[in-house]
Amino acid sequence: MIRIFDIAFKDLLQLSRDFKTFMFLLIMPIVFTFLFGYAFGGFGGNDSDSRLPVGYISHDDNWITDELHDLLADSEVIRLEENPFLSASNFEQLVANGDLAAAIIVPDGYGRAVLKNKTIRLTVFADTGTQAWTTIEAELLTVASRVDGAVRTASILEQMDLEGVPFEYAFEQTLSAWDEPPISINETSSPAIKKEGGKNNPLAHTSPGMMLQFSIAGLLTAAQVIVTERKSRTLQRLLTTDTRRIHIVVGHHLAIFLLIFTQFTILIMFGQLVLKVDYLRLPGATLLVAFCAALCISALGLLIGILAQTEEQAISFSLIPMFVFAGLGGAWVPLEFTGKTFQIIGHLTPVAWGMDGFENICARGLGFESVLIPSAALVGYAVLFFGLAVWRLNASEEK
Amino acid sequence: MSDVPAIEVLDLQKSFGENHAVQGVSFDVKQGEIFSLLGPNGAGKTTTISMLSCLLRPNNGDARVMGHSIRSDSTGVKSVLGVVPQDIALYEDLTARENLSFWGKMYGLRGSKLKLRVDEVLDVIGLRDRANERVGKYSGGMKRRVNIGVALLHKPKVIYMDEPTVGIDPQSRRNILDSVVKLKDEGMTVLYTTHYMEEAQELSDHIGIMDHGKLIACGTGEELVKLVGQQTRIDLTLNGDGSNVMQMWQAIDGVSRVSAEDGLVSVLVADSNLVLPHLFEAAAQLSIRITSVDIREPNLEAVFLHLTGRALRD
Repeated sequence: MIRIFDIAFKDLLQLSRDFKTFMFLLIMPIVFTFLFGYAFGGFGGNDSDSRLPVGYISHDDNWITDELHDLLADSEVIRLEENPFLSASNFEQLVANGDLAAAIIVPDGYGRAVLKNKTIRLTVFADTGTQAWTTIEAELLTVASRVDGAVRTASILEQMDLEGVPFEYAFEQTLSAWDEPPISINETSSPAIKKEGGKNNPLAHTSPGMMLQFSIAGLLTAAQVIVTERKSRTLQRLLTTDTRRIHIVVGHHLAIFLLIFTQFTILIMFGQLVLKVDYLRLPGATLLVAFCAALCISALGLLIGILAQTEEQAISFSLIPMFVFAGLGGAWVPLEFTGKTFQIIGHLTPVAWGMDGFENICARGLGFESVLIPSAALVGYAVLFFGLAVWRLNASEEK
Repeated sequence: MSDVPAIEVLDLQKSFGENHAVQGVSFDVKQGEIFSLLGPNGAGKTTTISMLSCLLRPNNGDARVMGHSIRSDSTGVKSVLGVVPQDIALYEDLTARENLSFWGKMYGLRGSKLKLRVDEVLDVIGLRDRANERVGKYSGGMKRRVNIGVALLHKPKVIYMDEPTVGIDPQSRRNILDSVVKLKDEGMTVLYTTHYMEEAQELSDHIGIMDHGKLIACGTGEELVKLVGQQTRIDLTLNGDGSNVMQMWQAIDGVSRVSAEDGLVSVLVADSNLVLPHLFEAAAQLSIRITSVDIREPNLEAVFLHLTGRALRD
């Protein structure tokens, strides 16, 4: 039995001396995770300010105008873009170019006019035919109404000559009343579609997709070790020792398994810490899926190593399933975006089950039980690949 | 040392489809001797060794290695056996020490015993000072030495060496032949295959000559040479069609056999001094010029020619 570990250690020693191993197992998946993540908007999309950009220039120097500005700046709908070097016409051009959703120009005397209950208009540049304008208009009316309402309330209190209640205090109190409105709506959603922090991180798909894809790509170096062993007749020499054939096979499988499981561990930690993909929401479930996926893919690597007659074949036999399994299995584009038939075909590949397992944890927010079926499917594939590998080795070597 | 043969081969047969690679081979190898299987490429030597190593299952027959049957006790056979394959069966991206250490483990060695044996074998093959270099950077001769060293790690009682000198320089070949003799001196039994007649003649206590899957002769070098009746071989090159002159030569007294291969005519004679003038005379009568003459005293090559009608070529 201990010879299994001797063979696995020997294989890992050989692999550690091949730069291609690190290239395919670690560097490539990280690079492609960033690439795909960027393509799907994983950076600067949901994590950045998604409010509508609205230019803002004030020609007025009044505290009421400052209040208006502060309310707009605190808006959850619009984001003020202020630049003292830009003129109203510059902002108008930016709106025309689509760089801004709108631009607000506060005219001189706006604050005084509001205080005196006189009508005065804000100037707004916008494309009024868009959905964005409807949103901005509603927000502007809300904010302007609150300021106007607070001024009127404070004026009434002042006219009532209530002792100890100055106009500014009454104004502030009236405005702050909106912090706790009489009616509020609490938004909630099903756990099945709840995203961490309310944000849908596209990397929660890309990260496991690239991890699974490049774990298969990494097989080309692992499979080459087995091919070279057979070509150089070291396998035959091994068989002249009293080492059992099954121990040789399991030793090779163990080496590839350890390699891929280590790759998964590193990439999961990278995903968790750098990409903010929440693999560790359910550490046990993540461990189970990673273990079963590594078991399955390493068995595939063993089969490739035994089937391939040359190093070139080992490369082809690794790259073909990598592209086919990754493409069909949803490593590039989520299977949810595809039709039902494609989803069924996709689930003929182990990658689809691996994706299901990881995404159930870090994208869909499901519980531990959700990874049991994907894990069982992966183990099933592992048994199939391992069985085929042993059968093929016996058929080719035992004449 | 026991009288039980180290290797007993009984009617061993192996076919690959229509190709009968080994056809009823039987021989014994005594303990502590060097036994060479001599024959051209494709004679069935490697197939025989593969069956004796339990890598191939014979279609018929059996063999016993130190009493263990290759059919029913492959584990027992492997436990007393060291195999030096024809190919360099090493991991080129590991160092010599790492290779020896790994193979030692595969032979069941562990811990300090393993370390000791690895160092001893590195001394034996003369590579201790370069033990930490990757084998892939070694010369062909150095790789061959490591290839042999691997088979010595567990001090096997029987060692098979399958054409261990193929494709190496004369100096490395000399080292390997010397090391084979040393193994015998240490009490190991060596089964050696080669298609180099000189190696078989120099090393062996007994020689088996194989051709087309059959063992066509077996004995000591002297016994085999006697098979050709102490005859001398004369190799001649002619400048024209030799078929007529060969018929004339065959009729000369003292000529036992005339054969031709690759433009070279070989004539087996009892006494070259007496026959040679008649050969020239007959060639002159047919206006054929003899452009070269090579006289060879009886050896294993002559034996092979005598038995098969063909020369033993590399």
